[in-house]
Parts: sequence; structure tokens; C-alpha cells
Amino acid sequence: MEKTEIQERVVKILTPYVKDQGALANVSAATNILEDLKVNSARLVDVVLAFEDEFDIEIADEDVDVVNTVGDCVGLIADKL
Amino acid sequence: MANVLEASDRRALLTQLGISRGLSLLWIPMFTGIMVFVMRWRLVGADRVRREYARLRSESDAPVLVCANHLTMLDSFAITWALGGTGAFLRHFNWLPWNTPEETNFASTWWKRVLVYLLKCVPVKRGSDRAEIAKTLDKVGFLLARGESVLIFPEGGRSRTGRVDQESAAYGVGRLVSSIPGCRVFCVYLRGRNQESWGYSPSPGDVFDVYSHVLEPKTDHEGLRGSVEIAKQIVGQLAEMESRHFDDRQ
Repeated sequence: MEKTEIQERVVKILTPYVKDQGALANVSAATNILEDLKVNSARLVDVVLAFEDEFDIEIADEDVDVVNTVGDCVGLIADKL
Repeated sequence: MANVLEASDRRALLTQLGISRGLSLLWIPMFTGIMVFVMRWRLVGADRVRREYARLRSESDAPVLVCANHLTMLDSFAITWALGGTGAFLRHFNWLPWNTPEETNFASTWWKRVLVYLLKCVPVKRGSDRAEIAKTLDKVGFLLARGESVLIFPEGGRSRTGRVDQESAAYGVGRLVSSIPGCRVFCVYLRGRNQESWGYSPSPGDVFDVYSHVLEPKTDHEGLRGSVEIAKQIVGQLAEMESRHFDDRQ
């Protein structure tokens, strides 16, 4: 699967959790999920669980530690596909 | 989890533990005295909670994670007091739980930093990057694996609703429990009768109702999903204890 397609699906999953919907217009791999998109840190885990369901992958506890940006999510998912 | 902690961090924690233990004859009676004579706080139900906690600590060396609700910045003092009296903690210093206070609340003055150091605390910085949070979890895991008790607040902060906030359950507590073999969870619900909602400090003269429950979280899932399920069970248990509290008070 192409990384651009993964990113599109990642952003779609993130959208309901984003408090600053305006920030979605300029989303890129470098966009920070907590700081730029204002996703509640407690909800980040729900986002990662949604990645598991969407891409049929299993994500370990430790993997969440490296998830800061949209690009981190894409890289994590791509590694597991 | 404990294995990934750097040697320097392990040494720092053990040094802190040694200094705290060395000065415990001074600070444990002092803080108990402040709660009893200055704040004039009183506990209802602490005898049962202390018996249960002492039984849990005596029957095995397996780690004990104390999980409590969180309404004020000072309620960890009352929760610790509810777990044991001065004598019990002086005899069994590892029964006195480590705390995980928000760093910015205690970093403003030198004497607060000294207190946090002395009172068996591992400060956490809310909103720090994921790697930093993971390091804090590693420290807590290291202490638990050494037979220390640790007190954490699974809601991740003081409940802004004044009630146990199941939506804000931080999954870190589930990660801790699932990563430490044999870890037992001691749920504590404590609430001052004057405590309508969240705040800075319980009021002087307040009477705290305290309840406990030994929980054995179970999950069929592994990884992140398993940790989330365990965290939800723990916060769910606290919410159930809260319901019981309000039923009792009616």
C-alpha cells in the first residue's frame, strides 16, 4: 500500500478526534497530532486502536511511544503491513 | 519494562529511596501530625482499608499498584494515610507508596522540590512527549518490581467533573499492570464530605470516607488493546466504588 493512501486513511481516522478542524486543511507528515490537531492525549490510544481495526494490524504498547506526528503513524502502519 | 531503564536512573531512584528512608523518622510523623492536628482531617473506613492493604502486602512480595480517584492536589496525602498509620510505615517503609505528582505543580520553589524528593515521588510532566511518558512508566515499573508500592491516578489528573471520569482513563495504568507479572491492583476511593467537586486542597476539618477493593484485571487481548481493557476495568471499579459511596451517603 502506498504511503499517500495510508496517510489519507490515517487522517480520516483522526478527523473525529481533532479539536482544531481548521488544522486539517494543512495536514502533512510533520503535523503533530497533539499540538497541531489538538487531539486529547487520552484519546490518542483510541486512534491507534482504530488503526489496528482499519489496517488489520497489531500494535504493541511500546509502539505508541513513537507516535507524535501523522508521519509517525504512517511509518508505524507501513512497517506492519 | 524495568529492564529498559538506564542504570543512572535506577541509581537515582535508589538514592532517593535511601535518603527518604533515612529521614522517615522525621517526615512520616510530621506529615501525619499536620493532617491530624493542623488540617484536622478525619478518616471513616480506614481501619478496614488498612487491614486489607496490610493483608495484601503481607501475603506476598508481588508488586502492589494502588489506583485511586483524584479530586485535589493534596488527596494523595490522605490516601496514603488511609493505607497505614505512622507505625506501619516506619516498620514497613516499602508499604508507603510512591506518588506520581504533576511536575509543574511542585517545581516552582526549592522547598516543594525537596518535599517531592523526600516523599517518594516520581514527578510526571503532563503533555510531554510519548518517550518521556514511557520513561516515567519505566521508573514506576522498576519500583514496583522491587516490591515498592506505587500510587497512581488512572484518570490522569484531577477529575474536572467531580466524579470518576471513565472517558479520561489513561491507558498507562493498564500498560503498567500488563507488563509486570503478578502485579496486584488495590483500588482506593476517597472523598471528603465537603468535597463537592475538584479543587486544590481538601478543606480543614473535612471527614473523608474511604473504600478499597482488590482487583484482578483480566483480558483476553494482548498489546495495546489489552492494556486499554485493563485500564477501563480499573477506572470502572473506581466508578462503582463512587456509586456505592453516594448510595451510602443518601
